[in-house]
Amino acid sequence: MSTRAGRGEPAWPGPERVPQGPDDLLRRVARGDEQAFSSLYTMIAPRVYGLARRVLRDPAQAEEVAQEALVEVWRTAGRFDASKGSATSWVLTIAHRRAVDRVRSAQAGVERERRVAAASAETPYDDVVEEVTASLEQQQVRRCLQGLTDLQREAITLAYYSGYTYREVAEKLDTALPTIKTRMRDGLIRLRDCLGVEVGASVATAGPGRAGR
Amino acid sequence: MSQPTEIHTLAGAYALDALTEIERAAFSRHVAECFACDLEVAELRETAARVGATAWAAPPARLRDAVLAEVARTRQVPMGRATVEPREEKAVLRWRRWTATAVAAGVVALGGIATVWVVQEQRVDDVRQQADQLRIDQARIAAVLAASDVRLRTSPVAGGGTMTVAVSRGLDDGVIMLSGLARPPAGQAYQLWLLQGEDAASVGVLAAGQSQGTALLDRLGAADRVGVTLERAGGVSRPSTPTLAGVPLV
Repeated sequence: MSTRAGRGEPAWPGPERVPQGPDDLLRRVARGDEQAFSSLYTMIAPRVYGLARRVLRDPAQAEEVAQEALVEVWRTAGRFDASKGSATSWVLTIAHRRAVDRVRSAQAGVERERRVAAASAETPYDDVVEEVTASLEQQQVRRCLQGLTDLQREAITLAYYSGYTYREVAEKLDTALPTIKTRMRDGLIRLRDCLGVEVGASVATAGPGRAGR
Repeated sequence: MSQPTEIHTLAGAYALDALTEIERAAFSRHVAECFACDLEVAELRETAARVGATAWAAPPARLRDAVLAEVARTRQVPMGRATVEPREEKAVLRWRRWTATAVAAGVVALGGIATVWVVQEQRVDDVRQQADQLRIDQARIAAVLAASDVRLRTSPVAGGGTMTVAVSRGLDDGVIMLSGLARPPAGQAYQLWLLQGEDAASVGVLAAGQSQGTALLDRLGAADRVGVTLERAGGVSRPSTPTLAGVPLV
């Protein structure tokens, strides 16, 4: 059961498929290879920028955050550890944290309330996606999100896409704090199993990884 | 001490970046000590990133030029470990650099009226760096942060940034974090003080040029507040300048 898009670049480029996938490129970047960074940029920038836009709901701020995150990828590439996850995930983790930092800053907070309110009628997935690659993967993520309970899904999307802390999420959903904590964790675990996410030693030896599940 | 099962339920919120900075620090310590947690967190992070990766949008073309230009003039950190300057590592004062620019929401707006209030929300930047660098005192820091009686207070620092103090009276320990402070002038450094009336005891000095850090405050004793001043690099025995921020230890 492949999760690949099947044409063009893989939906979720992994080390096992492409000699010059994000993992290989990031390892070269860690050694100061600017050419590799340029290739990595091509592969990863739309995801970084897209995620920043999703969280910040503002193209100008998203551009700034994407730039900060991508430069941080260059600066800290030496800390990437393939045994802890894919390069794509590592980059998006940096980008997400930066976007969340920005959205939680005092000024952005006020703006965010307005934008979130304005956007609340839209679906949580589609509002800033201008162009979609890897539609198969996106469908899979969407299907897996639908497989969560409402509370799991709302807790995860409010935190991840809007940058709220779990305390804020608990307030917004009028739910006890321990419940929200638990739903975030068991919701992500269910997503993990649904998406077939695997992390670990097999990455380095070009094992089948998640595509083989 | 913290209860592993209790803190471990934060794994989901952690993977979603839904923790405050202080909770994140406590959780990072927990993960560093627990292989199974490490794996779970890695998997949940990977999962969150898979969700995040569906938000694909074509960036403006100028972004590429801007990023590549900045990359060309940006030094990389050495492979495999965080950057810790040797003398920082030796410092008795146990400062650790944080890249976090923690600013509680509303700091600037409220600054003139109420300088101190319970932290509502903080930001965090680089958890890997924290995990690497908050080693020596982190067990105690984590204990403070996980204590049932922990109180968090933050105050804006004159000139920019914030000082946050977490205190557990039960443990008689505290944690101080400075974030986003103005870069000190050449030859000067931020110094932290435990204050009681007119008495001041130095708690620590940041490295020259350093504008953020975190430190363990052991033995609160009878001190009633924590303050920060700008002093000559290396520190002084008594504050020679007015405090830039003060947080009561109540």
